[in-house]
Amino acid sequence: MPGSLDLETRKITRLALLGSDYRGVNPELLCQAGDEVRAGSAVMRDARRPAIQVVAPRSGIVSKVERGSRRKLVALHIDVDDTLAASEFTRPASMEKEAQREFMLGTGIWSSLRTRPFGNIPDPAAEPAALFITALDAEPLAPQPALIIDAYAPEFSAAVNSLASISDAPLYLCHASDYRPPYDESSGAISAVFDGGYSAGLPGVHIQALCPIGFAGGEVWHIGYQEVIALGHLLLHGKPWLQRVISLGGDAVNDPRCLLVAAGAAIDDLLAGEVCDGPVQMQLGSVYGRPLEPGPAYLAAGQRQLTVMKRAAAEASSEESAVGALIPGDWLEALAPPGIFPVPLLRALQLGDAERARELGALELVEEDLAALSSACVSNSDYGLLLRRVLDQLEAAR
Amino acid sequence: MRANDGRRRIFKLQLLALLPVTLAAILNSGYQYLGGIAAAPASGGDDLRGQLARGLASSFENPGLYDYFAAGLAHLLPMLLLAVLVGGLWERIIAERCRRPIEPSFVLIALLFTLLLPGAASFTHIIFGMTCAILLGKGIFGGDGKSFLSPALLGVAIVQVSFAGASGTHPLWSGVAGYAGSDAFALYHRGGEAALAQADINLWSAFFGAIPGPLGTTSLLAVALGAAVLLLTRVIAWRLLAAQAIGLIVIASLVNWMGAETGIGSMPAYWHLLLGSFAFGAVFLGCDPVASACTNPGRWIQGFLIAALVMLIRVANPIHPDAVIPALLLASILAPLIDHAVIAWSIKQRARRHV
Repeated sequence: MPGSLDLETRKITRLALLGSDYRGVNPELLCQAGDEVRAGSAVMRDARRPAIQVVAPRSGIVSKVERGSRRKLVALHIDVDDTLAASEFTRPASMEKEAQREFMLGTGIWSSLRTRPFGNIPDPAAEPAALFITALDAEPLAPQPALIIDAYAPEFSAAVNSLASISDAPLYLCHASDYRPPYDESSGAISAVFDGGYSAGLPGVHIQALCPIGFAGGEVWHIGYQEVIALGHLLLHGKPWLQRVISLGGDAVNDPRCLLVAAGAAIDDLLAGEVCDGPVQMQLGSVYGRPLEPGPAYLAAGQRQLTVMKRAAAEASSEESAVGALIPGDWLEALAPPGIFPVPLLRALQLGDAERARELGALELVEEDLAALSSACVSNSDYGLLLRRVLDQLEAAR
Repeated sequence: MRANDGRRRIFKLQLLALLPVTLAAILNSGYQYLGGIAAAPASGGDDLRGQLARGLASSFENPGLYDYFAAGLAHLLPMLLLAVLVGGLWERIIAERCRRPIEPSFVLIALLFTLLLPGAASFTHIIFGMTCAILLGKGIFGGDGKSFLSPALLGVAIVQVSFAGASGTHPLWSGVAGYAGSDAFALYHRGGEAALAQADINLWSAFFGAIPGPLGTTSLLAVALGAAVLLLTRVIAWRLLAAQAIGLIVIASLVNWMGAETGIGSMPAYWHLLLGSFAFGAVFLGCDPVASACTNPGRWIQGFLIAALVMLIRVANPIHPDAVIPALLLASILAPLIDHAVIAWSIKQRARRHV
């Protein structure tokens, strides 16, 4: 097996594809409960643009299709069965733009691309103003991209070549100063170094610095380094990469480390025997991440870490968790993405003033960019949620 | 839960930062009071606070540290208690009418308010000022963080305007210009450093705070300790504080350079920093996160504006009072406008981008 990482592989029995991960598409299912699916075979596609497909991360049996209000897809559950072989793909015939895009669409990797503004899956016919590869991760306790990319250096390099050819826009490879990912200089990718605190790893920060979004209606695309490796794996081996690296951290985890798991894995499976006794708080992402509701949960697309913290037994009373006034302290400045005035933006979001939020740079942001501000602000507001409301309004108005 | 913890944390830090200032205020008011009594035994001091001081202190003739502390406490404590009581009463009434929990910030407001008054302030004026502070500075806006003014600042400003002529024969009224702050600027204007020296004001006594003035504003050392707490925990914005300090030094030097030989125009920058309530006002009122600009460029502009206003009033006004309170109030009122301009400029920048 080429490109192997010296990490423990966690066996997963169940996984799910979450409808909320695929923004901007109207999913049409290509399978039913009880169907057998192979890793890499399409399980749903966009009803409007059928070229956009979402593929199964592992082979198995579709166990349940969970739908919410207005028959909106909540999750597609799959019982993993690794005895079934994965789908195989033929490599793209040429380095032409059309051939490369077709390959990405056919293998489902296209659905790992995200747009800014709005964080949607991009339209297959659209042209971005720039393309960003996020090859650094500055969140606390996150896996080290250097280890993972080095283990899959040929795959990463092949994928960078491919991504450089899918559009005429500049391709920025964003990385930390102490690690330069291996890639082919002739591909035309531009290396961009980002250092600093927690926010240095956020695509919103890279976009702000290299190709800021104004009011002209343009968009940029970005993709995470693990998805880039997945693309490279398909290009070099013709088979999907079945693993993702996820770091398990927090003070309630007995043995914090990185694990190889399937994308979309059930968190119960993942945490079996890992967490100490007593009340805990699970967060998708780092300590700034979104707290996980009780009940069955699954890794979201592009998720790179899971944090489990010990929690005081006392529950917050309703009075204490009420939303209060924002205190515009100086501590918010350090947590805001550069180029954004945090306090005016947060106030606009609290008021639901979409126009003002757009003027203050909301189009460059998605939920994750405001996670640290939400946890540091004394007002108890979930600014990620408020931002999404505003973005939905702005998107509807386009 | 974490949000309320956050608010409580800020509240505790602000109280902690005021601790050195309060201690300095107690010691200095005791020192000033006993000094005044010794110089003129007949001068006032037989009110409630004077009697309390007599009861607490062991010796008026040969005072030690304890006597200074006791005499100071006898003056500060009744004022503070009354301010807390009045503030708490209004806070409770508002909380009940608005069906919200009582916000503990009224204690902080009462402390700030008390520290900005002279030690002999009238109880009636305290009741009036605290009422205005809680009702107009906080209550009508809906509570903590929703006002655009610092309530304590507003209360003091109203007292200052309403009772401009207030003073008396009490020892703690000497050396202060009513509620408006220190007399030291007028002294300097008339007689330069010699006049200050005659009033026992030198660099060291001003730095440690052994000079007449409103209770909490005399000691630069104590204010600096408080500022360190607030800066290290990032409760206040260092840019705003730096802008005020740099602005004052730059403008004072400019005024010196332009040139009066004598009078207030020749007063060097360090005296402007040491005398009056500029340091206290800059740290605890000017940098109030709720009542100041909330963008970084706005913070620089507001800081320079405060410094410029303070200098303008100090130099251009023939009576030469302290000028800090009206300058801070004006800058606080202008802060949203400053932010508005900064944001409008930034939006223009954003619109110029290509994507």
